[in-house]
Amino acid sequence: MSAANTAAVLRAAAPQPRPAPERTPGRRLHAVPAPAPRRRPKLGYAVVAFGGAVAIAVAQMGLSVLTTQSTYELAALNQERRTATLQAQELRDEVAGLSSPQHLASKAASLGMVIDASPSYLRLSDGAIVGEGEAAGTVSTVDAGERAAVGNALLERKPVATPVAGGSAEAGKKAAAADQGAQKAETEKAAAEKAAAELPPPLTEGLPSPTTR
Amino acid sequence: MNPIAKRSARRRTMVAAALVLIVLAGFVVRLIDIQVVHADDHIADSQRTGNMTGSEKLWGTRGTIVDADGVVLASSTMRYDLAIDPALVGDIERTREDGTEYTQTWDEQADLIAQVSGTSADEIKRIVADTLEADPDARWAQLAKNLSTAQYQALRELELPYLVYDPKPSRTYPNGAVAGNLIGFESNDGDPLAGIELAQDSCLEAKDGEVTFAKGGADGIRIPGSEQVTPAVDGGQVQLTLDSDLQWYMEQMIAEETQNQRAVAGTVTVVDVQTGQIRAAAQYPSMDPNDVLASDPTYRGSLIFGTVFEPGSTFKPITAAMLLEEGVATPLSTTTAAGWEQFPNGARVGDSFQHPTYTYTLAGALIDSSNVALSKFGELLPDEKRYEWLKRFGIGGGAVVGFPGEENGWIRPASEWDNQTHYATTFGQAFTATIPQVVSAYQTIANGGVRVPLSLIESCTSPDGEVTTMDPGEPERILSEDTAEDVRLMLENVGFQGPVAEQIKVPGYSIAAKTGTAQKTDGNGRYKSGIYFTSIVGFAPAEDPQYVVMITLDEPKRVTSSAATAPALQKAMEYVLKDQRVLPGASEPETKLPKFK
Repeated sequence: MSAANTAAVLRAAAPQPRPAPERTPGRRLHAVPAPAPRRRPKLGYAVVAFGGAVAIAVAQMGLSVLTTQSTYELAALNQERRTATLQAQELRDEVAGLSSPQHLASKAASLGMVIDASPSYLRLSDGAIVGEGEAAGTVSTVDAGERAAVGNALLERKPVATPVAGGSAEAGKKAAAADQGAQKAETEKAAAEKAAAELPPPLTEGLPSPTTR
Repeated sequence: MNPIAKRSARRRTMVAAALVLIVLAGFVVRLIDIQVVHADDHIADSQRTGNMTGSEKLWGTRGTIVDADGVVLASSTMRYDLAIDPALVGDIERTREDGTEYTQTWDEQADLIAQVSGTSADEIKRIVADTLEADPDARWAQLAKNLSTAQYQALRELELPYLVYDPKPSRTYPNGAVAGNLIGFESNDGDPLAGIELAQDSCLEAKDGEVTFAKGGADGIRIPGSEQVTPAVDGGQVQLTLDSDLQWYMEQMIAEETQNQRAVAGTVTVVDVQTGQIRAAAQYPSMDPNDVLASDPTYRGSLIFGTVFEPGSTFKPITAAMLLEEGVATPLSTTTAAGWEQFPNGARVGDSFQHPTYTYTLAGALIDSSNVALSKFGELLPDEKRYEWLKRFGIGGGAVVGFPGEENGWIRPASEWDNQTHYATTFGQAFTATIPQVVSAYQTIANGGVRVPLSLIESCTSPDGEVTTMDPGEPERILSEDTAEDVRLMLENVGFQGPVAEQIKVPGYSIAAKTGTAQKTDGNGRYKSGIYFTSIVGFAPAEDPQYVVMITLDEPKRVTSSAATAPALQKAMEYVLKDQRVLPGASEPETKLPKFK
């Protein structure tokens, strides 16, 4: 006899719990003694719902106003950026060519600088002088000043005249006057630059020292 | 109220309500039709007819061209074309700052425009009058082209309602004529026409984009979130192997030398021996790409890549190299040569100077540049072999660098050589070469017999930073190391003992160099008399070559021979060695080869 069969027999023999017998006392249906009092709707819910709706409406309007507002700001900033881009372009055009070698060389030549022939080298390991070992000459191998031959149309560009809007036909005259004024300002500026050039460099930050690496 | 009246009132109410509902339903149907069913059509219609959408072009920036150190040689800027709407031209009522009013007449307006645009006021008035005369309804006439941003700004400040501006990207070349002939230029419409601009257009080219948006009808303000952007794609950056400072010096120097020697034109080419990179390629007359029209059309391209000539004596060392490599001669092999000889086959060859019969060594023949001696040495190799060798050195082999319009040079096959050609080819005549081909041959000798293809373009960098290095080709051994060393030593001796030795001396350095003189055809099948295309090519320091330099002068008239190029070579060498920090070494050859036996 298998264990499973034994178990089945045992379970069968165990006493079964029985439901308690139901008693039915008298009538099963009867009238409600008094209707439950109808609950009053709470005012709070109404306030929350209505307030929520109003808040949403207000928020939407507010956001819409803000968006519209920022759109105008955006447009203004875009305009500003465009102006700045144009200005940057204008300035770039203005300085284009100033860093070109022919411009630097002619400026250097006008300061009296020369392109000397062979340099000498100081060898750091033993302190020997390699090369010609002669002092630099005063004659330039090329004449970048008077015989400047490498052209650059960017350097010949004239500044744009600012037109003077006058009420009468004096516009031209005024422009001429403005030109003269500009020339005068330029001469003064040149004089100031010359004066500045003759002064030794300011020593506010100590003596200049070469940077070594 | 009685019941009947009550009923009829209710019925009327019902009927009225029904009517209202029917009308309402009609509206609802129409609304749905407008807002849902045909919404897309109406939006499209509004965009077509109403002023509700805008678009703006996004300009892509064409790439820059920079030198080996990153110095910008070509960049982009904006230019503006100015047009006028003649229909709107007229007097304008204006208010001064102090509140008074005045009338600005068309004459005054034209004056103001003229001050900025550079077109004269009369010209402006004439353009407007002519346009109106031709077509009274005309709405457009061109006033000026290529105005700068500064001019554009100044014109806008005039607040003239009839001016129309057409912006367009344009090129600017900050260094002007420095390398201008190599960089090339663009047409007014922005099409690359020459030089690197043309050759590297695929790298430099930009693509324009566009942004479209909806805008408020009244104020033209963009409606947020309505933008649709097609981004612009910028062009890539082309890096050249040039050094712009060196390039400037060479241009200035060759300009002075060309004028000093009263020559028609001149060029300087500087090449790095180890890498084959062209460091400078200068010419005079040169072209400033900022103002192409100012230069002579003959000199808008590159003379260095566009000139073919008979190289002449600069190719004698090449003959020597092939003799050594084939083992038929050594630097000290000898031959006898008079100043002028007629050969058994009837050809006649003379030297450039009178001399008695000498017993020249091969080195001596090069030092004195004897055509007669070279003819006799050259005969040691059959024509076929010499033809092969010239081909190996790049003669008739096509473009070296691949520059737009680069010439090829030309040589007739050995089977077609006549009696004179048989000898002339030994001293660089009867075939033509380009400057890069001659420089390349000397680079091969200076680099121990290994030819590294010449290159002008280093790399292309795309806008997202991807670098594509240009492949100039594989180095190729042309001569054995021993042969290259022997030829190098002979060339050093030519530089030290030759006729221009004193003129090309650079203190602290030994210079190897060989001059060449080519006769020029007068266009009628004859050579011009007494006028030559002269050249000199050399390398330094001779004992450890770093740079090959070649100078050419076309038709110098002060000194007509190739000696005219010597001062230019001296200056070029001196500056290159200084600029590239090549330390001084020996100032003369360690072995001085004898000229005569």
